[in-house]
Amino acid sequence: MSGGRFQELLLASIGVGVAVLDPDTLEVVFHNARLAEWFGIDQGRPVRLSELVPGLDPDRLRDRLARGRAYTGEATGRAGRREIAVALQVTPYARDDGSLLIAEFQNVSKIKELEYAIESYSAMVEKQNRTLQREKERAEKLLLNIMPRKVFEEIQAFGVTAPQRFDEASILMLDFVGFTELSSSRDPAWLVAELNDIFSAFDRIVEQFGCERVKTMGDAYMAVSGVPEPTPDHAQNIAKTALLFRRYIEKRNASRDETWLCRIGIHTGPVVGSIVGIHKYVYDIFGPAVNMASRLEGLADPMEILLSGPMADRIQRDFELEDRGVTSVRGVGETRIFALLREERAVRTTVPGRASARDASGAV
Amino acid sequence: MSRTMFERYGGFGTLSKVVLAFYERMIDSDVTGPYFDGVDMRRLIDHQTQFLSQVMGGPKAYTDEQLERYHAHLAIAPAAFDEAMELLRDTLEDFSFDAPDVEVVMESMGGKRRCIVAPGSTGPGTDRARGDSGGTRRAVP
Repeated sequence: MSGGRFQELLLASIGVGVAVLDPDTLEVVFHNARLAEWFGIDQGRPVRLSELVPGLDPDRLRDRLARGRAYTGEATGRAGRREIAVALQVTPYARDDGSLLIAEFQNVSKIKELEYAIESYSAMVEKQNRTLQREKERAEKLLLNIMPRKVFEEIQAFGVTAPQRFDEASILMLDFVGFTELSSSRDPAWLVAELNDIFSAFDRIVEQFGCERVKTMGDAYMAVSGVPEPTPDHAQNIAKTALLFRRYIEKRNASRDETWLCRIGIHTGPVVGSIVGIHKYVYDIFGPAVNMASRLEGLADPMEILLSGPMADRIQRDFELEDRGVTSVRGVGETRIFALLREERAVRTTVPGRASARDASGAV
Repeated sequence: MSRTMFERYGGFGTLSKVVLAFYERMIDSDVTGPYFDGVDMRRLIDHQTQFLSQVMGGPKAYTDEQLERYHAHLAIAPAAFDEAMELLRDTLEDFSFDAPDVEVVMESMGGKRRCIVAPGSTGPGTDRARGDSGGTRRAVP
């Protein structure tokens, strides 16, 4: 067998597609059998490289080759009924009688198939991750309904949370006048819808003043400030919340047939905050201060906000209070109580000295 | 919780090899191969990866309705589905899946028969309205 014949056979049997190109026209002047098989090249019909490689960029090809670099590209061919991915590399080939280009085509289907499988699987996993993330957020949101974020984060990080004492806290207790009678005379579904509406509004008010809703029990609503996030303004925050609760109820009553009348007690003092229960978590606060707020609420007239002496000391500069004298409070004894009337405005003619001082300090 | 078959056999590392081997056999088979004429490789691999992940208990992608929609225009004959089942069985055996696990996959795939097969069809015929625009290149005679 002659050397030339041998080379020809070799060229025909290798698994790589080879073409020799005219550097000016990029026309295929020679190709081996493999290339013809992959791209269905008819013998005798002139074919250009751009017909085999649809994404060919001739300008870039010439630029690359001029800089002594190879040009690479991708194409799709067929082997039998199988679609195959083909990688192209064009390099210059200098001969005595002028230069030619050699285009080499490799079957990279296996690599492509694996790439596609990876793509497909990553997409699935990413989708699954998004679903898990959404689930996680939903679970988080549920837990945040029953405990403050800080406590939730502590449980997440350590698995447990220890009861914590808060020396600086203010508590608000609210309930509705005549609720017991209402619950026996009215449709429970209506009652729940009303409470849901009112308490949802309360939740927004509580949030507005950086307080926390601790819990609701029937018609009772309990909120706290300074727990679990300490704040120097806990007493003011709770007083503002109480006033806004009352104003909300007043406005609501004015626009509806049904009249709701609330009683509110607010007090300041140390409390202990803790998760209670293992599977059925409830975040709750404890201590004499909680009882005091509850007692004050019980003493309040309809639509009245009562507060204790310690609370009054804290907020009397910013709120208008009314002394209700010394009253006997169960479990506490004789103590002076006050009614919260309104938030004091910056300009108040009755106390001009104080008002001007507040104006000068820029406080409102 | 017990580990899924997908996890026990090496997760995606194994899945990808099974997918490519199964794909190879499906195209080489004279019964199933013609269905893949002119079908975009990327889509095929994508579908098979998702499908096999699902039947092996890995991440799920398809609902039965989707499977039905993807295969409706292909008019897949019952014999072709049987062939595909056999090819998958061979593939799993070659990847040393335990017999009980192979049966689980077979059962899972068999359960999808009604979503994939067109009962009256005898093969990839002219009634096939090809929705794929991805690869319509034909084999050159």
